[in-house]
Formats: sequence, C-alpha cells, structure tokens
Amino acid sequence: MQKSTLKFTKNDLAKYPFLKEAAEYVKSLDLKVEDLTSTDYARILERAEERIEEAILYTIVSRKLQNEEIEILSFPTAIMIAAATKNAFIKRRYALAEAKQTYNDLKLEPKEKILAITQNFQWNIAPNIGESEAAYEFKLHFTDYLKNTANLREKKWKLVNRLMTNGNVYLTRNETARLLSEEVKRHIEKRLDIKELPRLPEKIMEKAEKLNGLTLEKIGKAEIEGIPKTIIKEAFPPCIKALYDSAASGRHLSHIGRFTLTSFLVNIGMPTENIIEQFKGFSDFNERLTRYQVEHIAGERGSRTRYKPPNCQTLKTHGVCISQNDLCKTIRHPLEHYRKSIRR
Amino acid sequence: MNQKSQSFIQEMFNEFYRQEYTPKALSTIEKREFGFISPEGFMIRHKSFKNVDELKSYLENLTPTDAYYSCAYYENPEAEMDKKGWIGADLIFDVDADHIPTNCDKVHDEWKCGNCGFSGKGVTPEKCPICNGEKFSATSWPCEACLESAKVETIKLLDMLMNDFGFSDKEIHTFFSGHRGYHVQIERENVRTLDAVARKEIVDYVTCLGLEILSNSYKNKKIGTRVYRNLKLDDFGWNRRIKEGTIKFILESNEEELTKINLKKNVAKEIIQNKETVIKNLKIGTLRSVRGVGVETWRKLMEHVAIMQSAKIDTVVTTDIHRLIRMPETLHGKTGFRKVEFPPSKIDSFDPFKEAISFKRKTATVFVSSAPRFRLDEEVFGPYKNQRVTLPAAAAILLICKGKAEVAE
Repeated sequence: MQKSTLKFTKNDLAKYPFLKEAAEYVKSLDLKVEDLTSTDYARILERAEERIEEAILYTIVSRKLQNEEIEILSFPTAIMIAAATKNAFIKRRYALAEAKQTYNDLKLEPKEKILAITQNFQWNIAPNIGESEAAYEFKLHFTDYLKNTANLREKKWKLVNRLMTNGNVYLTRNETARLLSEEVKRHIEKRLDIKELPRLPEKIMEKAEKLNGLTLEKIGKAEIEGIPKTIIKEAFPPCIKALYDSAASGRHLSHIGRFTLTSFLVNIGMPTENIIEQFKGFSDFNERLTRYQVEHIAGERGSRTRYKPPNCQTLKTHGVCISQNDLCKTIRHPLEHYRKSIRR
Repeated sequence: MNQKSQSFIQEMFNEFYRQEYTPKALSTIEKREFGFISPEGFMIRHKSFKNVDELKSYLENLTPTDAYYSCAYYENPEAEMDKKGWIGADLIFDVDADHIPTNCDKVHDEWKCGNCGFSGKGVTPEKCPICNGEKFSATSWPCEACLESAKVETIKLLDMLMNDFGFSDKEIHTFFSGHRGYHVQIERENVRTLDAVARKEIVDYVTCLGLEILSNSYKNKKIGTRVYRNLKLDDFGWNRRIKEGTIKFILESNEEELTKINLKKNVAKEIIQNKETVIKNLKIGTLRSVRGVGVETWRKLMEHVAIMQSAKIDTVVTTDIHRLIRMPETLHGKTGFRKVEFPPSKIDSFDPFKEAISFKRKTATVFVSSAPRFRLDEEVFGPYKNQRVTLPAAAAILLICKGKAEVAE
C-alpha cells in the first residue's frame, strides 16, 4: 500500500462529503446543532432536506457544487434528519442514493484521487504496475474486496471469477469505483445506525416528519405482501420439497438441511408443534432437543430473533440446492419462491 | 464398548493428559470458548481458560474423550451464545475423507439397517436392499487410502491459500485431525472479521462453485464467427489452474477417457491425434487448433478439469463463524490419535499413522471381533477376526475406540 500525498480541494469535499477531511472541515467551523435552525443557515437545512427527498424520489442525490460550503455542511445535517426519521427505509435509501452519485463521480476521477479516497477507509490497495493486463488499474486485498461485494449479485463479482494472486484481486478503475461506492454506502448506513438519538431541535424533527410523510405517499404501495395461513406444499421450491420428503421418510438430513427446512417452515407460518412432528421419523429423534432447536429458530427462545432460511447462493455452496425449476432462475431466496408461486 | 474397556480408555486418556500432553500455546486463549465431551458422553460447553496451565489441569481432572475450542473470539466466552459478544474468528477449513471419493471405496466402513438389521460394507446406501429401510447405523475406519485422498485435497487447498490468497507458510497452520482428515487454520488479523457471507465466497473459490469458464474471454468476441481470438489465460489463480490442468489432462488422456467426460467420439479422436499441436497452442493461449473442436468442447473439458483442481472441503465448517474445532495436541475419542500440527511445506511426507501416535510404551491384551489390516508407524497389524491379541497400547486403543475390540477378560 502506498500513501497518497494528494490534498483534497474544497470541491472534492463537496463531492465526497463523507470523507474524514470533510468532517474535519465542518468541525473547524465550530457549529452547534442549534445554529442550524437560525435563518443564516436556512439554506443548509433546506439543502439537507432536499438531499433526502432526492434519495426517496430518484434514488440518487445530485451534486450542487456552485456553493461548496452548503454542499459540505448539508451532508452531516442530512444524516441527522435521516436518523431522526427513525425510518429504516429512508436510512437505507439515503445511503444508497449518496453511494450511487459517488460511483458516478468516482468513475471519472484520476487514479491518484481514487487511491486517496480509499485511504479514508484503510483499504489495502495499490496500483497495478504491469503484473497483469493493463485494463486492471488496481489490485485490492481480497478481504477488502469481499467486504464490499457482499451485495453484488452479478457473476463477475464472485471471487472465483476474479484474477487473484498473492491475496490481491485485480480491478479496473470502474470496478474499483463501484466497490468504493459500496464502502461509502456501508459507511453512511453505519452513521445512520444510531440507537439513542440526542434531543434534536424542533425544526429538524419537523423535516423528519415531513420526509416520513413523503415516503408513505410515494413508497407506500410497495407494502410487504402477506403469506397465507395455510401451508401450500405445491409452492415449495425443489430444495425444500426434497428436505421435506426426506424428513417425512426419516432419511438423514445434514445440519444445514435441518436448519433450512425448519426456518423455512417457521417463516411460512407452520406452528412449532407441527414442525417438531416433521422430525419424528429420524432415528436420532429427541423430542426435547428438537423442540429446543425449533423454538430457537422460531425466535421463541434465546435471542428472540426468528431465523430466515439461507439464500439460494448459500444453499448452493452447501449442496442443499439440488435442482432448479423455472421459477428458481428468477429468485434469490427459497421464501421468494413460495411467495411468487402462490401468487401465480 | 463395555464397562471394562471404557475404564481402560479413560485410564489411558488420563495418563496421557497427565504425562504426555504438552499444551500448545493457543493464541488469545482467554477469548475463546472451550467445549469437551465428558467420559460419560455429555457435551460440556461455554468454558473458558485464562492460560494453558489452567486448561491442562482441567483436562487432567475431566479426562474428556474429545476437546474442542472455538475458532471465534468473544468478549465473554462463557456467556450464552447470543450474549457472548463475537469479536472475530480464525479462518478454518476441514478436509474429511467422508466428503470425498476415495480409492478404497470405503470398503472398511460398515453399515447396518436400523429396520431389518441387514448389514454391508462400503458407502452407506440410500435404501436398504432388503427392506427398503432408510435408517442406518454406520462405523468408519481411518484407512491409508482415505487419508491419502484427504491429503491430496489439502495440498490443492494449500496451493490456493498460498498462491492465490497470499498467506505465508507461517500464517497457515495445518493439522491432522486425529481421525479421517486434515484441518487448516489461519489466524491472521485481517481475516478475523470476515463474516459468513465473505467466508462463503472463499468456500466457493476453493470448490470452484460458480466459476464461469470461457465466458469472459468469449462473450464479447463473437463466438461462432471467424473471429477466434486468443484465450487470455494469465498465469495465476484459476486461470493458471485450468490452463495447466487442461494441458496435463490432455497429455495423460486417451480417446476413451475423453469420451467419458461426454466428448463426442470424433472430437476426442481429433484431440488425441493432434495432441502436440493442441498443447502447444494451449500454452500460448490459443484454443483454435483442431478442426471440429469448438468452444463447447473446450468448456466441457475445462469444467471437468476445474472440478479436478478444486479442493473438496466440508463447506459448513468454513462458513460457521462460531465453530468449535478439535484442540491441537488433544486426543480424538474415535481413534486415540492426537490432532497434530505440521508445517504446510512438509505435507507430502507427513505420516499421520506415525506422527499422531501416543501411548508408546505400553501394551494391552484385547479380544478383537473383526479388524482390517492396519499400520501404526513401522508396524503392521491384522487383519483380525474373533481373536485374542496383545498389542501396543495405541493399536489396542484404536480398535476399542472404533468398536472393533474389547479389553480381554
């Protein structure tokens, strides 16, 4: 890893307001939360609100670089407002929208600036100097690579499809920008993940309320769809069907197989008692233990979280995915198969 | 195992922990969870120790049949699972003969139908041939062929960990598990915080799951037209593995072997007849060398090669960030062998049936119901059938732990 000596300009900070240097700049102005509500700073508050509004409506936050000062200051303000909405959707959407714009900007930056920004996140990255194809401008350590590809679904992002040597994954500039924007998204999400909000001025709370209203109005239609009460076996994906049949005939199931089946049944609303019944055929059946495990997965014990079955990718890795039907090709999670199949 | 054998095993294991056992320094011991199987067969979990001395005296007192510690580090290792406070976990791999096809076809393993009692040897069938029952009890045996197959998989894994993932010889800890396989453990700081999703990607990498063969090179280059470009195979990572593997495979194959992987007869013939040209071209990265051998043929060939080059690991072990694994230098309850570490560079010459043996000084007389021929260190034993024999303690313990012998009356 080489240290960059590049200094960020004020214009850079306006473009990338999540940088440490931007935060330091804001700090140097020595503002108080209360100051934001004074008329002098009205434009900052307005721009902050607009940032979130753009996120909700267009899933991208524009850059208004004519007034760098407002652009820089409105970012931490927007973070405060988004956090104040206590709305998981808004928080996620805002982080995503800022990250999207970041990606668009980063793509056009010179190598040195990209490197300088990666330093903000302690990436283990270096320019590729003739070790591999020239199209690859960077090499990034696989641990940083994996942390930022968890949400990327295209096959080209799978580690096995990358050129990797000595722990480094080779990347084009565009790909590096994409991964860096993922890092930015996670960074913003983390900043928004505040358990206990401090008391915020009335004006901030008002903005938060307004944005909550906007979300309901624009996004409300995509409500989470309910799952019917009765169990419809015909809607099971092939993997679950196989597990279910194996359990019924007492055939041995792997640990992950049992977990997948149990969590699937829990999530489609099968009562705990009925699930325990499914496992009675096993030669090593132990009612007390089975009950404990099923109740644990159902969130009736321990951590009180109801576990979801693993996604299709994970099931493939562990050999639980045995065959795919047509619907399987369009989904990423066994529960999605169930929901879609019912609606057909 | 009868009462007498059980007390014998416990006595021997206890003697081992008091006299032979030298605990290895375990990194960050105070943040790990420990688990044991008591002589009565109960699982004891959520234990923690401040140092190896404390751990050693615990082992001496309990004499567990098996001892484990977590690959994970916790704020409170003794708390319940959801209150432990996960800090990170070593990256671990488990290669077990149970998960891979072996040359011995597992003839030494036995199964018995839980329904009608019919029994047989080899891999446990899906259904009982007599009554169609699907419940079985099975016993296994750690044979040389099984362990050799596991070693081959481990060598492939080590190659990837060093060359692709860039871990050094010193960062990779390799162990014989004490039963039918090998463990690989990496404690490096920057892998500790990888979550299960990231570890799954590592699993997919070493098992080549989701590997796209020829797609990147060809998708954009008009397959089927005359524009047949060079295959860009850099000399590292999976590219190297596939390139070298394909060359080796073609070099060592005849027509019959190529048709076995579903190549058409005439295609196989063309490849074999033009072996030299094909290989010469592959080396410089050109696929287009023989008439009638198109992209689909190459894809089939390379998919086969990729699977041969992949390391067959137990996938759930690596992705489980709370996993308990056997502690180095402790005994395996199914064999009486120790889990032992050796340098990755020495894997070729590592002999598990020598390095993992304890109880060297004693002998014991046992009645063996049935046991295959086996070797410990330089000495070969068996096969035995319903006979009384006096054996070195290690051999006696192995047979008793495997349910093949009891202490003689």
